[in-house]
Amino acid sequence: MGIDVTVKVGGEAGQGIQTVGDLLARVCHGCGLYVLAVNDFESRIRGGHSFLQLRISDRPVAAPDHRVHLLVALSPRTLDMHLSELAENGLAIFDTQEQTPGDNVVSIAVTEMARKAGGAIMANTVAAGACLSLLGAPDSLLENVLKTQFQGKKSGVLENNLKAAQSGMQAVTGIDFAPAFAWPEKKPAGKLLSGAKILALGALAADCRFAAFYPMSPATDIMAGLTGFEDRAPLVVEQAEDEIAAVNMVIGASFAGVRAMTATSGGGFALMTEGLGLAGITETPIVIVNSQRPGPATGLPTRTAQADLRFVLHAAQDEFPRFVLAPTSLDDGFETMGRAFALADKYQVPAIVLTDQYFNDSVNIAQKSLTATESLKRHIVTDADMDDPKAYRRYEITDSGISPRALPCAGQALVMVSGNEHQQDGHISETIPDRIGQVDKRFRKLTAMEGEMRPPRTDYPDSRVLLVGWGSAAGAIRESVDMLRSEGMDAGGVYFTDIWPFPQQAAEEILGRCERFYMVEQNVSAQLGGLIREKTGLKFYQAILKYDGRPFFPFEIARRVKAAEEAIDG
Amino acid sequence: MVDVSDFHCDYENKWCPGCGNFPILDALKQALADQGLAPEDVLMISGIGQAGKTPHFLRCNFFHGLHGRALPLATGVSVANGELPILVSMGDGDCYGEGGNHFLAAIRRNPDMTLLIHDNRVYGLTKGQASPTSERGFVTKIQPMGVRSDPLNPVALALSQGAGFVARAYCGHKEQLAGLISQAMDYKGVSVIDIMQVCVSFNTVNTYDWYKKRVYDINAQGHDTEDWNAAMELVMAGGDRMATGLFYKKDRPCFADRVPGLAESPLAARSYDPARVQVLLDQA
Repeated sequence: MGIDVTVKVGGEAGQGIQTVGDLLARVCHGCGLYVLAVNDFESRIRGGHSFLQLRISDRPVAAPDHRVHLLVALSPRTLDMHLSELAENGLAIFDTQEQTPGDNVVSIAVTEMARKAGGAIMANTVAAGACLSLLGAPDSLLENVLKTQFQGKKSGVLENNLKAAQSGMQAVTGIDFAPAFAWPEKKPAGKLLSGAKILALGALAADCRFAAFYPMSPATDIMAGLTGFEDRAPLVVEQAEDEIAAVNMVIGASFAGVRAMTATSGGGFALMTEGLGLAGITETPIVIVNSQRPGPATGLPTRTAQADLRFVLHAAQDEFPRFVLAPTSLDDGFETMGRAFALADKYQVPAIVLTDQYFNDSVNIAQKSLTATESLKRHIVTDADMDDPKAYRRYEITDSGISPRALPCAGQALVMVSGNEHQQDGHISETIPDRIGQVDKRFRKLTAMEGEMRPPRTDYPDSRVLLVGWGSAAGAIRESVDMLRSEGMDAGGVYFTDIWPFPQQAAEEILGRCERFYMVEQNVSAQLGGLIREKTGLKFYQAILKYDGRPFFPFEIARRVKAAEEAIDG
Repeated sequence: MVDVSDFHCDYENKWCPGCGNFPILDALKQALADQGLAPEDVLMISGIGQAGKTPHFLRCNFFHGLHGRALPLATGVSVANGELPILVSMGDGDCYGEGGNHFLAAIRRNPDMTLLIHDNRVYGLTKGQASPTSERGFVTKIQPMGVRSDPLNPVALALSQGAGFVARAYCGHKEQLAGLISQAMDYKGVSVIDIMQVCVSFNTVNTYDWYKKRVYDINAQGHDTEDWNAAMELVMAGGDRMATGLFYKKDRPCFADRVPGLAESPLAARSYDPARVQVLLDQA
């Protein structure tokens, strides 16, 4: 068995829990280990209970583990809530100056040590020192990370942090911690990034030049990721007065010729739906990221869900073609953003990217290199492409359904666009031939759009039993498949990124071969399962659903599949 | 030479005979001709309502968007390409009601565009309901007891929020309106023209006769357009006289001036540079 250790750091909001996780993750990443850091926090800035769970492994990991090997409790509540999650050989560190009863709990005066080193704010550095020392890491690793982090800061800051790290390390000297491991000395396995950041990088690489948004968890970090490039790329990020403004700004910017996007969560997406329809009928390419959280209304604002699939498929009145893509990993997230912009441009339709709080807020390792596209195809025409620019019609009826798209004020061709149903030149029309002609024209794109859709990714697709999911649940499903196979079950996994237009043929081929398949989704009604049935006639056997706002653990998926299978065999 | 007739459009006009929009359209064409702009150089963004239909009756590039949302759409256009001469055609319900939040935000952001608000104090396209500028007591089919709310004062609102070009016009005085539109287009930033307009179908109170008796031109009377307090006083004055003209004008940095580099080269005009993007990706 290789390395697979989980550290959980919990305390009140404002105690710097994320900083501990960040320090540990960077140390691990720096010597070639794989990590997944999952943030679990309440909708508050101070107090309450938050935690960060860091899984460390020598193999890629894409789901949190339910077993905790090292628990760092910066508050009594953390100890109460999570002590029961400790693995058999696990250990808890409790921040107190008193003795704590119990074999698996060690009292360390973390905050007090931080104070002595120069300030309570460095409790996270003390905790990181203690954790790394217990895990068997050489002292120099954390020291190097601290040096990088605090280089150039006010004098004393680095020195104090080094002192804090040292006292954390010394406090656990002599404690025998079974999950400790020999630390490799390898190169980093890729880039350490959050899902939100990779989406921002994907947009940057796709030459997104305008992003408008209204702050909403968990989507805001995507925009924060983009804002950092404003001074070095042709890019403007604008905080709009509301989500309605955001989507309309994006439509305007795209109409004027730049790639543009917005990012929000379900509630904001609800406000954007009329704008989505405007992009649909005016055939204006836009990209909208909906980072899902549990709803309806405010729901669980800082937690995760996959419950907006049906919503984004059907959002806005009447019907029009759109793309819906749900990345399953960081690597997929980068690529998906590029595809969303390219497909939106090519077909002049809105493209929706579905992620969620777990995807956006978790930090993982992007393994593929991040590459800028060599040349972008914008599918824009100018006067030079036209026989008679004065006769240009924005909504000309074509066999493909795609009309030549010119930009306003770019030449002799007048670009006339209307959210009313229109005739081919863009003026309002209520005639029957224009209405039917334009609806049919828009829908003729669907055939080619379907051709763009990739089949779902699979593991062991010829297995007797398949576990099927989409988006960010893929990581947990993949690992649960490994667990089931290690126990002798003939199980495989199917993970959809491309959801709409639904890759019907591929789904039929893969799912038609197995004996039965299970849906694994973070919603209450197996939304993708319903779509699969609608499009292929194939019905899932059972659905493993989770809608408590927390991400899937691989073991819970495996346990429930096993129970269902045993019920059949028994 | 550009002529008013260059802006004529063959598309069938769908306004009621006698609509106050006709003289507004005439004034608009005059202003565009005076500006020396060709139809292909003009871009109009519009909302929904009878005012929203304006670009269909004018030869130009246009985007006829959603009710209330013309301003954010125009803002997106302006961010992408601030060199385009952008006119935004909206109604009172469109700009001050459904899009009220965007009106405030547009003044704060100050993108370079000319706002033409056809203010007829009634909803025409939906057949005669009250608008944000209807007088209290104004009787409609759906407000038979009269409007209960007090009217919005859009010019005072624009002034109070620091708009740098604030004017009010009357649709019956085409020459004055054409002049104001042309001045507004010359102004860098958001320019607001509230155009008092007659609705012959649904507003039998604020008629041509009603306005004729009341309106007067403040610019002809030597109003100092740099005097904000004087402007505010004119706008807030009650009574039977209604001031029209340019109330206030002041230079403010427009949106493009507030983003480094944007004023020099529009986003839409810049070329894609994969090498530069790659450097940023490598640093991430």
